[in-house]
Amino acid sequence: MFFRIIQFAFQDFYRNFWLAIITITMLVVTLFSVTALVSLNVVSDQLVKSIENKIDVTVYFKQDVDESQILKTRIGILSLPEVKKVTFVNKNEALVWLKEKYKNNQSILSSVEILDKNPLPNFFIIKAKNSEDYPKILDELNKDEYNKIIKKKGFNDHKIFINKISFIKDKTKKMGIIIIAIFSFIASLIVFNTVRIAIYTHRNEIKIMRLVGASDWFIRAPFLLEEFFYAFISLLILMSFFYPLLNFIQPHLNYFLEYNFDLISYFKNNLFFIFGSEFVAVILINMISSFLAIKKYLKV
Amino acid sequence: MVRFENTTKIYSPNIVGIEDINLYIKPREFVSIVGQSGAGKSTLVKLLIAEEKPTSGRVIVGGWDITHIKRSKIPILRRQIGVVFQDFKLLPQKTIFENIAFASEVCGVPRKKIKKTVPQALNIVGLNDKSNRYPFQLSGGEKQRVVIARSLVHRPKLLIADEPTGNLDSFNAEEIVNLLLRINDFGTTVILVTHNHDIVNSLNKRVVVLEGGRIVDDKKRGKYHI
Repeated sequence: MFFRIIQFAFQDFYRNFWLAIITITMLVVTLFSVTALVSLNVVSDQLVKSIENKIDVTVYFKQDVDESQILKTRIGILSLPEVKKVTFVNKNEALVWLKEKYKNNQSILSSVEILDKNPLPNFFIIKAKNSEDYPKILDELNKDEYNKIIKKKGFNDHKIFINKISFIKDKTKKMGIIIIAIFSFIASLIVFNTVRIAIYTHRNEIKIMRLVGASDWFIRAPFLLEEFFYAFISLLILMSFFYPLLNFIQPHLNYFLEYNFDLISYFKNNLFFIFGSEFVAVILINMISSFLAIKKYLKV
Repeated sequence: MVRFENTTKIYSPNIVGIEDINLYIKPREFVSIVGQSGAGKSTLVKLLIAEEKPTSGRVIVGGWDITHIKRSKIPILRRQIGVVFQDFKLLPQKTIFENIAFASEVCGVPRKKIKKTVPQALNIVGLNDKSNRYPFQLSGGEKQRVVIARSLVHRPKLLIADEPTGNLDSFNAEEIVNLLLRINDFGTTVILVTHNHDIVNSLNKRVVVLEGGRIVDDKKRGKYHI
């Protein structure tokens, strides 16, 4: 019996071939818009994360503060709930870094050589748990306890940039949701009409089926199954061009993010979740539209 | 086999299908139900195949009270009734064999059984040699015989022929009626719904005359006079 339902569903597909193509195309466009939005979301999250990684507070100590006092201070700062990591760089290490960094810049190297003693201060690089926590950390460092030993504080604030990205991300998300809603609506209308036309082209079969005693379920099932095929084929088509597209985008993305983020691996690792959810969503759209069309036009 | 008890069907206050019908058709009987257009013949057929439900009274088919039949049970009822309509309702893209097999396929009959029952049905209607032809390759009478064959694959106890000769010339009409008589001889109850008095008069079987939704005449070996 199930084999016959599949057979009838395929017959519908062939008889309304062009309509099937239009339906599948619309479903692919809808699925692509959803997947593109997911990608955009992932990329913007990564972008924010990469920028957040660059935020830190550098605290330079006065020359006369000795290391034991600095290490005590480090313990104090580490005890702050907002602080994730405090890296201590002593002045000798700092000098090595400087020389390494400017090894090709003779003027800087000779300036350093001229001086009798190391001109660089000891310093901390402080990372917060959350980018929102930096103002609190800075407030804490402004207290007398710290202020008297600190010469200077450097804060690379990328907040404005992050806010801009978040703003664009939110706007894109909202626009994306509207676009998805529009495409989903159009897709459901097309599915509705596909089923309606399929019912019309099968009106004689349906009349005969009713007459000879086919069950309601048997008459309706091929139409529902056909929509299931459409969803499945749409997903396969999407996946067939989405991964090559990711391959094309990936090198440009790495350049943009300034570090390696493997979007292809992300989609591979979350394949079942992303495409599974999309499949379920598209099946739901199809089933609801088909069910409404069947209820309205298929009198069994 | 069939019993209508005080059955009335009102479509709307102005349209009465049938009114207070009391009719009993015995098993293996051949009954012609005759009347002009709008007499209530089609309503009677629709009530028998549960396409409509009566407004009042009862309808019993094969001992089964179908007055308030559940929607899910209608297919079971229809598998026990063969129905032949005036319009042939054959699928043009299927061969004769496939058209008949289709009726079994959609009811979940196994392929093996279909391969056995379809030739039997074709044999009864005398179209065994044309099983691979398409409907457009057949005459009107042959098409109607295919429809009868299709209605026989479920081996129904009751065959309803609603104006089966309406689209046929007198020669083909006579052939169809003879076929119905033969099916009746095999033990199937046949209800022939028609307004063709020549056919009815040639049968010399029970005739029920409907007029304005009521039975106005019911004779064991009746004639139909306009």
